[in-house]
Amino acid sequence: MLSTMPPARKSRALFLVGLLLTMHGFFVVPLLVAHAPLEKTMGIVQKIFYFHVPCAWLLMLSTFVCAGGSLAYLFRGSEPGDRLALCSAELGVLFGLCVMVTGPLWARAAWGVFWTWDVRLTSSLLLWLMLIAYGLARRYGGAGGRRLAAAMALFAAADVPLVYLSVNLWRGLHPSTKTVSSLAPGMRLPFFFSLAIFSALWGVLLALRMRVERAQAHLVEVAIAVEDAEGSSS
Amino acid sequence: MTYVALAYSFIWGAVFTYVLLVGRRVARIDAEIEEIRQRVKPGA
Repeated sequence: MLSTMPPARKSRALFLVGLLLTMHGFFVVPLLVAHAPLEKTMGIVQKIFYFHVPCAWLLMLSTFVCAGGSLAYLFRGSEPGDRLALCSAELGVLFGLCVMVTGPLWARAAWGVFWTWDVRLTSSLLLWLMLIAYGLARRYGGAGGRRLAAAMALFAAADVPLVYLSVNLWRGLHPSTKTVSSLAPGMRLPFFFSLAIFSALWGVLLALRMRVERAQAHLVEVAIAVEDAEGSSS
Repeated sequence: MTYVALAYSFIWGAVFTYVLLVGRRVARIDAEIEEIRQRVKPGA
């Protein structure tokens, strides 16, 4: 339905959907989380899990989407692919920042320290830093910056399976990947609801950000055309 | 409880800040569009 809408209405619809999702995320998720049963050993601090895991999932998803767009740009010169890579990398940095803040808060309560060089934590930090480096390479990398950044995105994507499997390959302090599948029945609904809301919000933010990037590219084309027209008429 | 509230507030604060930054970019694009519109206006 969205594809048949005129652009202005599409933007408005996207904005409204985003607003609705944000309100749901802001009010409904914490209500569900508050009513979820308390975990026996950790108590209330375990509830950070309902926000931390969706953010971590979005960090990984953003990295894969960024790598997909970068591949399209590197091998086919696709400009939309490059824009998709940039927008998803930005969202990866945003949700990665949330992971890097919520994780240590949980760790402080669970392990007594904000940070430890556990493989999961270290590989996640590396992934987040690679996405930041992607943005820096694009901004300050000069003429070849976009291609360099695209290649970096592929390395970042290679880190994702390592991040995910690290807790199974090297048993560290971080809970394993089986935590979600072994959730108590009362914890499943708030968790999957939170995951769905965060994922939908990510989708809307990506669509909005892509529209801004498309508009920017279009504007540059128009500005060049106007300057050419002014140059030829004078 | 403090840590849970901190984590929750940080996430929504970060998302809200990001949306504001995107909004600023939109405002900048709008200003550039207006500038081009003024330049191509007949008689300009």
